[in-house]
Amino acid sequence: MLRKLFGLMALALLAGCATPPPPAPDSAASKVVAMGSLKNIEIGPMRVARENGFMTVNVSLNNTSRYNKTLYYRFAWLGNDGFPVAEPEAWKSLTLYGAQSSFLPAIAPVPKATDLRLEVKTP
Amino acid sequence: MPFIRLSLVAAVALLATGCANNSPALGSKNISYGDTKAVETVTNEFGSTDLQMIAESMTRSLAQSGTLQGRPVVQVYDVKNKTSEYIDTREITTSIKTQLMKSGTARFASDNTDMQSQVDQLKLQNQSGLYKQSTVSKTGNMVAAKYRLEGSISSIVKRSSDYKDVFYKFSLQLIDVESGLAEWMDEKEIRKTTER
Repeated sequence: MLRKLFGLMALALLAGCATPPPPAPDSAASKVVAMGSLKNIEIGPMRVARENGFMTVNVSLNNTSRYNKTLYYRFAWLGNDGFPVAEPEAWKSLTLYGAQSSFLPAIAPVPKATDLRLEVKTP
Repeated sequence: MPFIRLSLVAAVALLATGCANNSPALGSKNISYGDTKAVETVTNEFGSTDLQMIAESMTRSLAQSGTLQGRPVVQVYDVKNKTSEYIDTREITTSIKTQLMKSGTARFASDNTDMQSQVDQLKLQNQSGLYKQSTVSKTGNMVAAKYRLEGSISSIVKRSSDYKDVFYKFSLQLIDVESGLAEWMDEKEIRKTTER
């Protein structure tokens, strides 16, 4: 009986220590690189398309706090091999009002871009 | 005794290697290289982030608009500075030109600042008699621009005892030289506020 109990406890401990599963490839979450934990900002679905030969993206953002929040962000545009196809972008700052939901649009700098990463950081 | 001597030698060697400068940097610790892509908010005058944001936004909007089909030749004119501060607007157009060139969507004719050097070089090659005839660039073959790109930057500055607010508006348009029609136009607005 005691052995079973220990076994169960060990299993529970192991399950507790397990890391959450990585985001599915090509999901919106897999394209977001947060530098540290994001405070009060949620990144939702992304709409990726190709318009006139250039990759475009629109990212849904949500401020979960009642207060205005600042987000620093930039996109990295990648080729088929997963490496950048353009110079690193400048960091930009975006203000989200308290409880605001917003969209962040962007266009790739070169037609070669086939994938992207969104780097984000909250102050 | 030999053990003490050995220990002393080891200690001296350790000190010597500890003091050796093995860093690839030289100079004062107060000077450092920063990230050229960082968000710059040192003052609320026109800064590097504004320049980068404007160039990036305008270039991508123009490249993706589909107006520049078949890599047309574009002539870039100076951006008119209608703000109250000094802004090197040539740097904005240079960044836009560089990024459009890298995107592979346009070619650029000599603009007004390059034109004199271009004409001088052609004259020198054709009139001086210094060059081997087979290597001389012929006159009358320069490619004329299909479009001209011109823009302006203006600002509204407001001050109160608590705030200084600066609003910049950058406008850029692409005009078909033959028809005179504006084929593409976009704006970028930037607001910077300082709380005193």
